Amino acid sequence: MQDLADDLELHRRLLAGDRAAFDEIYRRYAAQAYGLAYRVTGQQVLAQDVVHDAFLALWRAPEAFDERRGSFRTFFLSMVHHRGVDLVRREQRLRNRTEKAANLEPLADEDPADAVAEAGYLGVRRKEVREALTELPAAQRQVLEMAYFDGKTQVQIAEELHIPLGTVKTRTLAAMRKLRVALEEAP
Amino acid sequence: MIDHDATDELLAGYVLGSLSGEDAVEVDRLLAEHVPDCDRCRATLDAFQGLTGEIGLSASPAPPPETLLPRLQRSLDARRRRGLPAWSPTRLVAAAAAAVVVVGVAGLVVTQAGGGAQEQLMSQADLAQVKLLKDDPQTTHKRIGETQELIPPGVEELYIWGENVSQPPAGFTYRVWTVGADGETWVGDFIPDNGVVALHIAVDPASVNDLLVTVEPIASEPSQPGEPAWKAA
Repeated sequence: MQDLADDLELHRRLLAGDRAAFDEIYRRYAAQAYGLAYRVTGQQVLAQDVVHDAFLALWRAPEAFDERRGSFRTFFLSMVHHRGVDLVRREQRLRNRTEKAANLEPLADEDPADAVAEAGYLGVRRKEVREALTELPAAQRQVLEMAYFDGKTQVQIAEELHIPLGTVKTRTLAAMRKLRVALEEAP
Repeated sequence: MIDHDATDELLAGYVLGSLSGEDAVEVDRLLAEHVPDCDRCRATLDAFQGLTGEIGLSASPAPPPETLLPRLQRSLDARRRRGLPAWSPTRLVAAAAAAVVVVGVAGLVVTQAGGGAQEQLMSQADLAQVKLLKDDPQTTHKRIGETQELIPPGVEELYIWGENVSQPPAGFTYRVWTVGADGETWVGDFIPDNGVVALHIAVDPASVNDLLVTVEPIASEPSQPGEPAWKAA
């Protein structure tokens, strides 16, 4: 896919310290990164910090991306997610559920942020990811989203849902395996 | 015989950052002792890690505030002007002698070298030199997590060496600290490449009590150690 090839080219330029490449990567991924960070942290200020730090980390250590281990897109969004969860854990006392982003649900077809500027293939892939998530059994999707978007540990999820920890683990793995199959990209 | 359903469960929880307690300890052990040599587990880990990026796409994109890009650009420019983050003078004196930590070999990536304005405390070590040191009977070895701290005799420096060292989670880096009488001092950050680590740390082993390695977000301010990952025995 041309967009993926473009990402790799931009990353190669980033390794050489090319600021224009950095700006282009920001243009491509800032809105998705911010939307994800907002959904995980639930607060605009924290989301800005997550996105700021993720892009700064990318600039300072572009070598951390290894194209043999996956796409640039998944690497970068994974980094944003990890940072978001990490921040939520560190700033638990600041977490204010009432400020949670309005885009939590549903995983709808129509996207309220259609106006956001981004590479077209992201929208295509987003649709695929959402479809894969909605096809998961509800119980599996629930534990996955509690871990991913709410930053909860499996122990916390088990307590909250009043189910055994082993069940949380089983459902999480089943969800991840199904997503892996559903989202496997053509080489 | 390893139970791969059980390891897959742990790896799924690990990439989601949702493990705690005994499971977190167990996955650390797996990542150090089993995953590096298991093609199946490495493939699973990479695939699951990729999914944590893909799931993020399901969140609706939202335009970041217009102030974010200028803020980011100021940060980039400030880094460029300032160079490496400054150390406090007292800590510089404490660590000035020269110690080197070598972690990883061929592709060690020192993401953020420590050291003050005048000297850099951590750098990638010469691989051949580290291998010689490693096998030198005069060298003192200390276990530090998945690596070894090497202290050659008669010189005021350290090395860190490791093979099959697991990767930190995406977006995170290993961070090295010396532990002395006045607390912890940041030395530098590194990410192993293909599991190999070889670092030189310009610090007099006699001036520090311990080495500490933590896992921290890349480019975060090294103000104080976070979650301990490894500590020298």
